[in-house]
Formats: sequence, structure tokens, C-alpha cells
Amino acid sequence: MSDFDSELDASGLNCPLPILRAKKAISALDAGQTLKIIATDPGSVKDFEAFCKQTGNELKSSGEEDGKFVFMIQKAA
Amino acid sequence: MSNRLSGPERKETILSAAQGLFASKGFHGVSVDEIARAVNVSPAILYRHFASKQTLYNAALEKFSNQRQSYVDTIVKHGTSFEDALAGMTQVYINNIAENPDILRIELHSLLEGNIATLAFFQNRWKSFTDYIEFGLNEHLPYDVPDREKTILSAGLMFQGMVREVLIQKCLQPQDRLVDLSLHELSNELVTLFLRSIGISKPQLSRKATISS
Repeated sequence: MSDFDSELDASGLNCPLPILRAKKAISALDAGQTLKIIATDPGSVKDFEAFCKQTGNELKSSGEEDGKFVFMIQKAA
Repeated sequence: MSNRLSGPERKETILSAAQGLFASKGFHGVSVDEIARAVNVSPAILYRHFASKQTLYNAALEKFSNQRQSYVDTIVKHGTSFEDALAGMTQVYINNIAENPDILRIELHSLLEGNIATLAFFQNRWKSFTDYIEFGLNEHLPYDVPDREKTILSAGLMFQGMVREVLIQKCLQPQDRLVDLSLHELSNELVTLFLRSIGISKPQLSRKATISS
């Protein structure tokens, strides 16, 4: 499950920077590839849910590791 | 008549009244008794919904400043260029204050009162901009710019000052000499001026990214 193609560390950044950086990173991926995002802003959980709903990309997982939030987003076909 | 309100409705009524009172008198200028009187309930009923004045104050802030979703929408819809995203975020921010100028009043009160929790709340709102600007400039500015670090930090401050001032001028104390410029026109102009000052000039950006919500 820890398979991903690219990683983005958005630790310490406030909304909407993590989303913006994720959008950029995803645009550089091919369809089906997965981006791992690390964030520290608690609000980012909801933000990434909304982001995936709107963009059609799939939020494969959303969880907490060592006090940080980790998201896996797979680029839509 | 207020006795017929359901629990959630009552809570909502208390929140609205509290926000208005905090906005006009500050945190220390309002007592729980006064808020309770404003909505015709006893302090005991108020405490049933909010454990303390501080809890009520925090809830009033959170309720009226829900802009995260709009930030996400803006990022999804607009371009990801530095200038488009900045213009979009600015629009979200000023719309939020234009709809609820009380938030700005509470912010100004909190600056004077030095309430730590509240100051953190407002600093965090501005941090979205200052983080964004610092990050963007780090990518945009050539590495050989003199005093690069200072420029980047000052740019964030400059932007915060500009936006806060335009909101004060347009939402709190309307000025005759600015009467012909709408809040949106002014903020568009300021974003453009700001971008020019940091060496990004794209005069057409504001049309696309910041007009209408």
C-alpha cells in the first residue's frame, strides 16, 4: 500500500498551499500514478477530501503518522 | 417567543448575538450576562450551550470565517500560476470580510486586547497569504537578488498590510475619495501593484481571476 510514484512534503504549510502544490505535482503525473502528500495542517484532511471530490482524482488513503497527515492520491484516468 | 427555539436554533441565535457584541465591544467589553440578555435567555441556558465566554468567542470566530472550502475551490478552478492563485485567494478573503465585517472588527479588537488564542486564530488566517507569498517568491526571485530573504519576508508583510487596509477603508469606514472604486476594483489594483513591485507584471490576470465570486 505504500506504493507511490512521487512525494510531496507540505509540512508546516497553511491552506491552500498544500492543495496548490498537490495540484501542480499531480499535473506532472501520468494517469493512474500516485502522489504521496505529507502535511501538518489538521484542516488538510477535509481539504484533500474536497479536492479529490472536485478533481475526480482518487483519495486512496488518508491517515496520520507520527503526528503528520499522509494522503495518497491517484491521478484520474 | 424565543422559548420555542430548538437547541441548535438557540445555539445559533446566541452565536450571532455574541458575534455582534464582541465586534462592537471586544472580548473584555462584553459579559456573558449581556449576551444572554440580548437573546432573552438566562445565563444558565447560555452556559448549557457554551461552557465559557472564551468557548463562545472561539465558536463565533470559527462560524463566521469558514473559507477553507472556498480556497480549495479557487485552487481547483483557477490556474496554478503564482499570480492567479494569489488573486483568487485574495478574492475569497475579501468576500469573506465583506460579508461579515464583524470578523475584521473582532480582529482589530483582539490586536488591542492581546488575547493569545484569538491572535493565533487571525495570524493563522494571514499565514495562508504570507506562506504563499514566501513560497512563491522563493521560486520566482532570482538567487542573486540583494537581500533576498529580507525582500521575501517584507513582501508578505506588505501584502497583509495592503489587504487589511483596503478592508478597513471599504468595510469599516467608507471614505468619500474611494467611493468610485469598489472593494473588488481596489483589491484587483492592489494585487496588480503588488505583483509589479515584486517583478511580476501581468495586467490581465485580475480580470480573469478575481472578478465576481
